[in-house]
Amino acid sequence: MNGALVDAMLGLGLAVIVVRRRSVAIVLLAAQSLVLGVGALSLASGRSGDSLVASLVLLSKAIVLPLLLYALIRRTREPGLVIAAAGPLVRLAGAGAVVLCAVILVPPLGLGDAHAEHSAVALVLLGIAIVVARRPILFQLLGLIVAENGLSLLAVSVPGGLSYVIELGALFDLALIVTVAAAFAQRIHNELGTGDTELLRGLRD
Amino acid sequence: MTDLVPVLAVVVPALPLAGMLLALLARTPRQADLLALATALPTAVAALALAATALARGGLPALRGQWYLIDGASGVLLGVIAVVGLCSVAVSPAYLRTSGRSWTTAARSRSLYYAALFLFWAALLAVPIVGNLAAAWLIIEATTAASALLVAFSGRRDALEAGWKYLVLTTLGLSVALLGIIVLAISQANLGHHGLHALDWHSLHLAAHALPKGSTLIAFVLLLAGLATKIGWAPVHNWLPDAHSEAPAPISALLSAALLPSVLLIAWRVKAILEPSVGSATTRGVFIAFGLTSILVAVPFLWRSLPWKRLLAYSSLEHMGVIGLGIGFGTPLAIAGVVLHVAGHALAKALGFYAALPLLRIDPEAATRAPDGVVGESPSVAAAMGVSLLALSGLPPSPLFLSELLILLGGVAAGEELVSVIALLALALGFLGLLHAFVEGVVGGHRRHHRHTRSRVERPLVALTAILGGGLLALAAAGLLLPGSGFVETLARGAL
Repeated sequence: MNGALVDAMLGLGLAVIVVRRRSVAIVLLAAQSLVLGVGALSLASGRSGDSLVASLVLLSKAIVLPLLLYALIRRTREPGLVIAAAGPLVRLAGAGAVVLCAVILVPPLGLGDAHAEHSAVALVLLGIAIVVARRPILFQLLGLIVAENGLSLLAVSVPGGLSYVIELGALFDLALIVTVAAAFAQRIHNELGTGDTELLRGLRD
Repeated sequence: MTDLVPVLAVVVPALPLAGMLLALLARTPRQADLLALATALPTAVAALALAATALARGGLPALRGQWYLIDGASGVLLGVIAVVGLCSVAVSPAYLRTSGRSWTTAARSRSLYYAALFLFWAALLAVPIVGNLAAAWLIIEATTAASALLVAFSGRRDALEAGWKYLVLTTLGLSVALLGIIVLAISQANLGHHGLHALDWHSLHLAAHALPKGSTLIAFVLLLAGLATKIGWAPVHNWLPDAHSEAPAPISALLSAALLPSVLLIAWRVKAILEPSVGSATTRGVFIAFGLTSILVAVPFLWRSLPWKRLLAYSSLEHMGVIGLGIGFGTPLAIAGVVLHVAGHALAKALGFYAALPLLRIDPEAATRAPDGVVGESPSVAAAMGVSLLALSGLPPSPLFLSELLILLGGVAAGEELVSVIALLALALGFLGLLHAFVEGVVGGHRRHHRHTRSRVERPLVALTAILGGGLLALAAAGLLLPGSGFVETLARGAL
C-alpha cells in the first residue's frame, strides 16, 4: 500500500489515543478506516475479483461502524468528560513508544514491505494501548477497531490478497462484537450513569 | 455411517442455529422452554452420532471434506459439547424461573437467552468440525459475542463488569491470534498457495516443511499467545474467574467444559501443523510453559475460601493447565491422559456448576462467600457438589486421577522429569485444597441449622448427579483402554 496512506493510518491511530471528545475520536476512526479502504481499493486494481470484494468490505466498514458508534454516543450522553488517568501528552508519549517498539522489535514477516509490516503491528499495539490507557467504554471499543484496522492493513498487503471470505467473516464478527459492546455500553451507562470503566472494578480475589 | 459424515457435519451446527431462530419466535416463557428442549435433543443426538463415527474409526486418518476435518479429537470434543449443551439447555428453565427481568422483560429475556445460548452452542459444535484455521478463528470470535451477552445476562453490576472484561480481553487476544494467521497466510502466499484453502489444516500440514522457520515461529507464538487468552491460560486468564462466577450456571458449565477445551483443540492443531517448521522443542516448550504456569497460578486459589462458582473457575484454570501440559509432553501416554482429562473434566465441572443453581436458591449468600455444611441443608445438592469436587480433585476412582497419572508418566517418558515432578507437587496441593473445600463446604458444620425442603430445582439435579456420576465412572473404566490404542497413537502423531 502507498506509504503516505500507511503513515496517515498510523497518525490517525495516534490521534485517537490523544483526543478527549468521543465524537472527534469516532471521526478520526472513520477517517482511518476510509484511508484503509481506499488503499485496499488501489491495491485491488491489479488483483483478482476477490481483492475488489475485500476492499469494498473494508470501505463499508468505514461507514457502518462509525454510524453505529455515533448512534451509541447519542444514547449515552456523559454528564461531563471522564477524567483521564494520564494527560494527553503522556498518552501520546506512551503511544509513540509503542510505535517505536514495533519498528525496532518486529522481525520481517515475509511481506517484503517493512513499512507496512511495522505499521500494521504498531496499529495492533496502539489498539491495545488505547484499551489500556483510556477509561471511557467507547474509547476501549475504538481501541479494538484500531487494532482490527492494523490487521486489515496487513491482510490487504498479503501477496495476492487475503480471501474475501476471511475479510467478510472478520467484518461480520467485528460488527457483531461492536453491536454487543454497544449494548453493554448502554446498559453500563444506565447502571452507572457514566461510561467510565474505572467504576467497574468490584470483582477481585 | 462414514457416508453420513458430510451431512452430519452440516446438520450438527445447523440444528442449534435453527433453535436460535425458533427461540426468537417464542411468545411465552413456557413455549421458549419447550422449543429449546425440542431443538436441543436432536442437536445432541446428531452431534453424538458424528462423535461416535469419529471415535469408531480408531487409528484411521481424519475424515476430510472441502470445509470439514473430523479426527479423533473432534470426536471427543463433539461428544463433550453435545452432552454439556443438552444438560445446560435442560437446566436453563430452573435458572430462568428465578432470574428476574435481566436486560429486558422476563418473556423477552428468555427468548434472547435461548437465542444466544443456541448461537453459542452452534459455534462450539462447529469449532472441532471446521477444516480451516481462519474459519476456526472466525467461529471462535463469534462465540465471544454470544457468550459475552450470556455472561452479563443477569444485568447486575458485577455481571456487566465480568461480561465487559471478557469481551474486551478475549477480543484483543483473538486479534493477536489473527495477526499470527495473517503471518502464516503471507508465508503460504510466498509459496504460491493463495486463497482461503491455503489455510486449510491439511494444506498447512502438507506445506509445513517448506514454511520459513523465522516467520512461522512468529506466527506460532502470536497464535498461541492469542488463543491462550481465550483458553484462560495464565498469565492471560484475568477474565476467567469473573466470567465463570458471574454467568448463569448453565452458561458457566458451557464456558468451562466446552469453550475452553474447544479453543485448546485449535491450539493443539496449530502445534501439530507447525511443529515440522518451528521444531518440536519450541512448540512443546510453549505448551509446557503455559500449562505449568496455569497450574501454579491456580493452586493457591484452590486453598482459599472462595464462593462455589469462583472456586470452580480457578479449578478450570488448573485443569486447562493440566491439558496444556499433556499436549506439550506429546507422548502417546500423555495424549491418552489429555483425551480422558478433557471428557472427565467436562462432566465433573458441568455437574459442579449445575449444583450452583439450587445452592444459590437455598443459600443466596453462597454467591459471595464459600458455602459451608451444605449437607445439613440439602443432601442432594451436597451429593452433586461432592461428586463434582472429588472428581475434580482427582480422587480415585475419578477419571481425572488416571488422566493426571497418564499425563505425568507421559512427561517422564518425554524426558521432562523436572516439569513432571513440579506438576505432581502442585497437583497434590490442589487436591488437598479441593479436599479442604469439600470437608468445610459440603460435609462440615454449617452456620444455619434448618433443613431445607427439596425444591423443584433439586429434582433434575439428582438425575444429573446419577447420570454424570455414572458417566465419570464409565470414563474411568474406558480410560484404561486408551494407552497403547491406535486412536491415541494417531493423535500423538498429529496426523491431520
